[in-house]
Amino acid sequence: MKKWLMPALQTAFVALLVVSFYATSWFGEHYVLRAEPFDPFDPFYGEYVMLQYPDLEAPAGISDGAIYFTLTEGEDGYAVIGRIEENPFFGAINGSKYDRRIVAPQLENFYVEQGHGPELEEAVDLEVTIDVAPWGSIRPVSIAPRKE
Amino acid sequence: MEWERKIAQWRSEGVIDTETAERIQAFETRQPKKRKLPLLLIIGLIFFALAVFSFIAANWQAIPAIAKVGMVVVLMWIFYILAHFSEKKRFGHPVIFRILGYVMFWASLIVTGQTFHLGTGSSIVPWALFIAAIAHFFIWRHSAFTVLAFISGITILSSAAPGIGLIEWLLFIAVTLVWFFLSKDGLAMIFSWLLLFGSGLLVWSIWDIESPLVPIWTLFALTLLLLLIPQDKQRLLSPLYLLVGGIQLIVFLAIRGESDMAFAELTMLEAIALAIAGAAVLALAYFRERHVMWLGVLGLVGFMLYDETAIVLAIAAELTALAYLIIAQRQDQPLALGFVYFIVVQFVIYVIYAWERLDMSLFFLIGALLLFALSGIAWWLNRKKEGAVT
Repeated sequence: MKKWLMPALQTAFVALLVVSFYATSWFGEHYVLRAEPFDPFDPFYGEYVMLQYPDLEAPAGISDGAIYFTLTEGEDGYAVIGRIEENPFFGAINGSKYDRRIVAPQLENFYVEQGHGPELEEAVDLEVTIDVAPWGSIRPVSIAPRKE
Repeated sequence: MEWERKIAQWRSEGVIDTETAERIQAFETRQPKKRKLPLLLIIGLIFFALAVFSFIAANWQAIPAIAKVGMVVVLMWIFYILAHFSEKKRFGHPVIFRILGYVMFWASLIVTGQTFHLGTGSSIVPWALFIAAIAHFFIWRHSAFTVLAFISGITILSSAAPGIGLIEWLLFIAVTLVWFFLSKDGLAMIFSWLLLFGSGLLVWSIWDIESPLVPIWTLFALTLLLLLIPQDKQRLLSPLYLLVGGIQLIVFLAIRGESDMAFAELTMLEAIALAIAGAAVLALAYFRERHVMWLGVLGLVGFMLYDETAIVLAIAAELTALAYLIIAQRQDQPLALGFVYFIVVQFVIYVIYAWERLDMSLFFLIGALLLFALSGIAWWLNRKKEGAVT
């Protein structure tokens, strides 16, 4: 039986990973973020758009390094920082702050169809739709040029 | 058939007798006949597979996320099933199918990461591959999985380096130590030892320290493993300790000789602590594995780095190289490692101290090379002459 152990465990692991992403959408909330791209290429994953978020800025008094935050919908419909702490709390997104800008590992890049990256880079003003689970994990759902 | 024609020829020429010829014939007839796939069928299958893959690639964006991942997982299962039948029916190499199964697991994680936009900074993929490769190694005990585990371990170290946390670092050391102690296999011990050494270097990024002595501290910490492993494994690993120690001394010599080391923070307190640790390593090596006693020299590097001219480091490197060669020759031990170390030390010293006087030094270098070539020719002629006499 041990010869089937590895494929079974590996399948279970991949399934768990996939379910964790779907669970973020099933139980999470929908947010749309303003985003700006820069466009690199990963030899294994393919083409993706690196993103930064002009609305995600830390208030004064928060020092650089690891931070924990939640999102809330702003008056114009785009997400902004809700609560931000230097210590972890339940439901927080793990991120880091550097020079007022806030980034989270799961928000940094969005994989796109081959050849689609430069097109989004030219558009500059983008919007990214994400799902945020109650436990703080993120699932990027879509990316498109912003209509403002 | 070819063998029947040959037997008939040998029998007619009297090379074998009739009884032997009959015995060979009976033996060959009993052998199972190799079943070969027709060439056209093989070519057809290759083209069919290419067509299937082209179709999938052309419609990749239209395929639902779950189906993309599912396809690669199915491929992974196909290779493990092929490995099972390869072992049972004795065709092909089961280990190659298992490696392909492992590669498909890697592909399924890549596809999952791409489909669900997993962050590039995430170390979840290298971790999964590392654990899977080690598990493959313990189940099938094949060195291919040792290499795969080493590559994925290196990937964890390199991907985690900028922002690795203490817990992840300790977990990596714990898993690698388990692999080191339970592997009982030379190659696996060497590779896991190298990963342990690599994880020691992450101390720089975890605590954000600027001490240049971290590699020596790591090597000294790894000498504690000598207390816990049997003697044959100590013998196996001792050249690795010497190799890494030798490289460190040369690197320190090159850096000190070529820079002012303004980027590093040297403290006398750390230099003294390192010297004490070096003495402890010397004592430990004396009682456990005397070949490793050379590492004691590294304990003095903390003091040597205060010398801006790097002369003390150069003398230390030169003396250790010469002393190692002399002792190894007197004890009738292999000289290759010491000889390479000696050559590299000369080269580094040459670059540090003679680079600015390149025109002059090139003259001596060409002279030395000519002498070397002439002595080689003389040795070869002498050997040929001796051979002709005997």
